[in-house]
Amino acid sequence: MASDPDDMKRRDFMRRSLLTIPAVSLGSSLAFDAYADNGAPALSDYQPMFFEAQEWQFILAATDRLIPRDEHGPGALEAHVPVFIDKELAGGYGRAEDWYMQGPFHVDAPAALGYQLPHTPADIYRLGIAATRRYCQQRFNRDFVTLSHEDQESVLSALEQGRPDFARLGVDDLPSATFFSFLLQNTKEGFLADPIYGGNRHMVGWKMLGFTGARASFREWVDQYDRDYPLGPVSLSGERG
Amino acid sequence: MIRILSRMSALALVLGAMTAQAQGADDHDQALIERGAYLARAGDCVACHTAPDGDDFAGGLAIESPFGAIYSTNITPDPDAGIGRYSEAEFAAALRKGKRADGANLYPAMPYPSYARLTDDDLHALYVYFMQGVAPNDHQPQQTDLSFPFNQRWGISAWNWLFADQQPFEPNEQDSDRVNRGRYLVEGLGHCGSCHTPRGIFQQEKALGDDDGDDYLAGANLNGWLAPGLRGGGEDHLGVAGWQAQDIVDYLATGRNAHSAVTGEMTSVIENSTSHMSREDLAAMAAYLKTLPVSDSTDIGSERRISEQKTDQTEQQLRDATALDEGARLYLDNCNACHFADGRGGSGVFPALVGNSQVNADNPTGLLHTMLAGAQLPSTSERPEALMMPGFGWRLSDKEMADLATFVRQGWGNQGSPVTPEDVKKVRNSMDAREGFSGNPEATGANHPDDRAGASAQ
Repeated sequence: MASDPDDMKRRDFMRRSLLTIPAVSLGSSLAFDAYADNGAPALSDYQPMFFEAQEWQFILAATDRLIPRDEHGPGALEAHVPVFIDKELAGGYGRAEDWYMQGPFHVDAPAALGYQLPHTPADIYRLGIAATRRYCQQRFNRDFVTLSHEDQESVLSALEQGRPDFARLGVDDLPSATFFSFLLQNTKEGFLADPIYGGNRHMVGWKMLGFTGARASFREWVDQYDRDYPLGPVSLSGERG
Repeated sequence: MIRILSRMSALALVLGAMTAQAQGADDHDQALIERGAYLARAGDCVACHTAPDGDDFAGGLAIESPFGAIYSTNITPDPDAGIGRYSEAEFAAALRKGKRADGANLYPAMPYPSYARLTDDDLHALYVYFMQGVAPNDHQPQQTDLSFPFNQRWGISAWNWLFADQQPFEPNEQDSDRVNRGRYLVEGLGHCGSCHTPRGIFQQEKALGDDDGDDYLAGANLNGWLAPGLRGGGEDHLGVAGWQAQDIVDYLATGRNAHSAVTGEMTSVIENSTSHMSREDLAAMAAYLKTLPVSDSTDIGSERRISEQKTDQTEQQLRDATALDEGARLYLDNCNACHFADGRGGSGVFPALVGNSQVNADNPTGLLHTMLAGAQLPSTSERPEALMMPGFGWRLSDKEMADLATFVRQGWGNQGSPVTPEDVKKVRNSMDAREGFSGNPEATGANHPDDRAGASAQ
């Protein structure tokens, strides 16, 4: 498996992108070159605005598990989902700028009451990543990014089910499932939002779904029956696919 | 019985008139001021005599001329900064003959060759309005300082003798009152010819009225934009000639009609002037324009006939979307949502590109300017919504812009010449310099959504 040329390229990509994450040996039916970049800056050249170095490695590894590259197409890393999340958290969303953030706060409020925590989204990531890393140390005696994919996925599943008790790991008022839901939601957004926001690079998410992008009208298609729509997507900045 | 009643009402009228006499003088003045204000709108005095962000009529707007910037003057009744010391005769000489109160010549940026048409009554109303209806303002606008020989104002006398010999308006007896009223407004206060009549080598309008030749309102190039021909005679022609009189009225009243929507310099003319005019006067202007036969020199964009077959071909190509060249693909990505595959836009909302004079103009500057920077309709009392076309300068490179403009200028049977990336670059650069326009796809940074509310579930 290790001598497979496609895998060598993939390994090289992962090494450049993830630095400390061991390369994976996952067979793929798709040639990596199909998603090669056209000389645009690589993920490894991106300087995070919000995340610290260790947090950044965590986000790279975690989003790669949430939307892995597979037989359907590229994953979160090719789509630059971590860039999207970093920019998002460095901006007004990260600061909860237009949310009501005065008390009282109720960690256990029913979901129907909406967001009731004292943390901004930026805080949720900062605290959530720290608590998850501690959880991995306790459970595996290793950092999240050095775990096997299987173990990383088991950690993410545990977060999704709210099993790790962040309060015991030194983070109050943050259910681990809440951290996970932010991570998953923002990862999906980064995969599918317009590329102008940093993710969905070269519209890979849209191409995978067959979404036509920011073309504002389809009036002349209303009465054309039984025809496939022939055009690739277009982004807000005018990039065409 | 009837006779008695009418006598009684006549008596009542006389009595009423006597008691109201004192107030009547004021009413008369007030009515005169209002009429003067209306005429000042028709003349669009405010457009040139107001600086950007300045007070109305206080002057200071730089009017570009081939000889340098000419700064408009303060025409409020301030005795020192404005025209407060002008007698009515001096005021009339300025409007009709381009003479300042001190006898010096005004630069013909002031359309006195057109205002020469003014009747004495209208001049009087304008004088009363500017003296009594406008607040004095002591703003001293920048002085015009052209280089030699254009700073020699006496030289303009020769120009005036050659080119500005218009007489006060005389109605043409063969025409209806309505057409005569329209001619008076178009040739006189409206000074439509200032932009829409081609100029000769001395910067004179080649014709100041329809009795002065076919060049009158035949269309002209205004800093690269086509000021289209307004000669509207005939039926199946493009441009204004293809419009019904009602289309012209709608356009002047609201900046939009069944065919088109205003861009460029005309936007402020509609906003400041024509949208304030009565429907009757606009209808008179339209009726007059429709009497002017289209001549060989009329510049309405290009060929006058659009081939229906070519219109259908382009529409089919866009509907099919399988055999698209670069320009057609860019049209679908950028323009189609509003101007549609048939290129006909939406009546009163989106201008048609088919047969559009600016799209077909020999010089593509106006079209490219609109594509790069967008355009916004004026808000008028009748149609307050200031609909906007966004600029695409930030989204499309010079090459893409050129391909798209070429497609639009040649699709649907349009007859414009191809556009090169160099053409686009030139317009883009001139906009950079003059308007602080920063539209440039390379400069577009990746934004991020700062304004999202709690989209993430707890």
